[in-house]
Amino acid sequence: METCLDFLSLLILVSSFVLVSSKRISSYITAFKMQSLVLAVAAGLLGIHNLFVEGLPDVLILCVFIVILKVVYIPRLLRTTYQKVEYRVEKDFFLNIPISILICAGLVLLTYFCLYNLEGILSGHLRFYFMNSLSVVLIGLFFMITRKKAIGQIVGFLVLENGMFTMALLSYGMPFIIDLGILVDLLTAVMIMGMLVFRINETFESIDINRLRKLRG
Amino acid sequence: MGLLILLIPLVTALLCWVFNDRKILHGINVLGSLFLLGNALWITARVQSEGVLTYPLFDHFFYLDCLNALILDTTLLVGFVTCFYSIGYLDHEYGTPQDLRKIKLFYSLTYTFIFTMVLTATTQNLGLMWIAIEATTLASVFLVGFSGTKHSIEAAWKYIIICSVGIALALLGIMFLYFSSSQALTGSRLSLNWLTLYENAGKLQGNVLKMAFIFILVGFGTKAGLVPMHTWLPDAHSEAPSPISALLSGVLLNNAMYGIIRFLSIVNKNMGSSVYTGRLLIFGGLLSIGAAALFILAQKDYKRLLAYSSVEHMGIIALSLGLYTPVSLFASLFHMVNHSFTKSMLFLTAGNVMLKYKTKEIASVTGLLKTMPLSGSAFLLGILAIAGLPPFSIFSSELNIILAAFKSGHFLTGTVFVFLLALAFGSITYALLKMFYGKEPENRMPAGEVHVYGVLSICVLLLFITCTGIYLPPFLKGLLDSASRIITGV
Repeated sequence: METCLDFLSLLILVSSFVLVSSKRISSYITAFKMQSLVLAVAAGLLGIHNLFVEGLPDVLILCVFIVILKVVYIPRLLRTTYQKVEYRVEKDFFLNIPISILICAGLVLLTYFCLYNLEGILSGHLRFYFMNSLSVVLIGLFFMITRKKAIGQIVGFLVLENGMFTMALLSYGMPFIIDLGILVDLLTAVMIMGMLVFRINETFESIDINRLRKLRG
Repeated sequence: MGLLILLIPLVTALLCWVFNDRKILHGINVLGSLFLLGNALWITARVQSEGVLTYPLFDHFFYLDCLNALILDTTLLVGFVTCFYSIGYLDHEYGTPQDLRKIKLFYSLTYTFIFTMVLTATTQNLGLMWIAIEATTLASVFLVGFSGTKHSIEAAWKYIIICSVGIALALLGIMFLYFSSSQALTGSRLSLNWLTLYENAGKLQGNVLKMAFIFILVGFGTKAGLVPMHTWLPDAHSEAPSPISALLSGVLLNNAMYGIIRFLSIVNKNMGSSVYTGRLLIFGGLLSIGAAALFILAQKDYKRLLAYSSVEHMGIIALSLGLYTPVSLFASLFHMVNHSFTKSMLFLTAGNVMLKYKTKEIASVTGLLKTMPLSGSAFLLGILAIAGLPPFSIFSSELNIILAAFKSGHFLTGTVFVFLLALAFGSITYALLKMFYGKEPENRMPAGEVHVYGVLSICVLLLFITCTGIYLPPFLKGLLDSASRIITGV
């Protein structure tokens, strides 16, 4: 069980590297989808474990929600948004991909280093989960600042959120209601961002964030 | 009875879609906010006599003591005045019959926004509080982009992206807090209730709690507009319609700060001293005051300038929370209340000016005292109040903070603080005083106010900040006193 979760949390981390290395919007939406799928598998495993050991169906329900929202609905929403607003392929990143990957590797090292120095609190598997999910959070943040397109920022935010969710699931887990509330909030946030992307596309005739620079100082 | 306070805004938001008459919509709006205010006052009275108001529903998620009663009252008082103001604003800006849909949208979004703020202020479950604070962003995004211009869309995008990320980091902080309690409180039922965590604060794990506090400070600090996470704030506050700016600046920032306060009391009780949190908060506070004072000097847009002044005042509150003495806590809560009223009054007045002059540029507004005698003089007095001149209430709370700093031995902090306050005073008055004198603009606009609602609402707020500056009613003083005692737990 623990080894399995170790592996899955590592897989989530690896999938965020896949995300950083992808060039086009459609490929990083797929990367996000895969990452959510891994997260859902982890939630499913934990859920089955909880159901049989403690008789609580909480995490299993959560798993269903993750599958519906993060694996099916949100990627589809992003894809339709993208298809409606995009008419040409152009370079979408500020830093080229090898440099981005190097920086992300640096971020992972930084997290490992920081969490190793926290003594006595985290140990064994728990520390491993924390390291991986915190790295995913940081990579999500990094992804947000290196992409020019509005959709890139949304995906970065979602990856960051995935990292949080991994942490919440694999460590002690937040209360069920809170987890559910977070998912609903997330869904609303992404829907609103999607609508704003349309508005940005209408008013600025592009979804390039670089054009949003009237308000300064 | 107390739970009605969560129900009223939702019902009002829904009712706005039922009716198709402008007058009825305005009526619903005023009635809704009036009921809210009445209910809040009833709750405050209960809380003051009994100490705590809570119901066993859902593990006591609804919990009010003097601290959040204070936040709630401020929210709903300012909410009432701005809702009243909105009538005139909407009739003027969206006057044609085709705009009815916009008015409905405006009211229902505003009441959803108020609902999320009320939920933030009335729950003790920290997870639910997080959800509510995130929901405040979601409810107000379309209000920020309400006018649909390029600038407002840009502001809305920045607002949702930066705040969502910031709040996500705060979630990480809450997870760390939960984690620190999960190992210490084995046996008893785990919960995210503030009261449980606060009572068991000594048993939580200090190291994890330290990390949690940093994440909370960054996360809720983003929402509260502390430098360097403030970049969304001037955009959102200046591009939103004026009543919404008043709500965003006057009460939303308080709600975020309130989240920090709840954490602060747990962390400080756990550590037994306020050195760790104090350093972070004082540093963040001074940075915010200093940066805002400099940015104010460079502003060409008066609403944007007022937004930077909010950053400055949030910095002041953070600083005095960092000092963590009884006097400074009292002063910081008092400052929160004062800033709410003064800043919302200023944004409403700025709204009047904007409706008249049709511009936000400082340079294009001249002779304000001649064209709009009432709004103009209220604006002038408000600016002096926000800059910290007696007899207004901001002066008295700032004076208390300075006294607390020197009394508790923070001489360097106190000196820098006084210097930065002087700088901010100079820059605000230097930047804005040009608006009031000089010739009237060339296109000879007739003197007079734009709408009567605007004048009435700013007069009420002006009266309030002047009175509390001179004399603090025992009712308010008692509330502030017990609220600051809740933070320290003595």
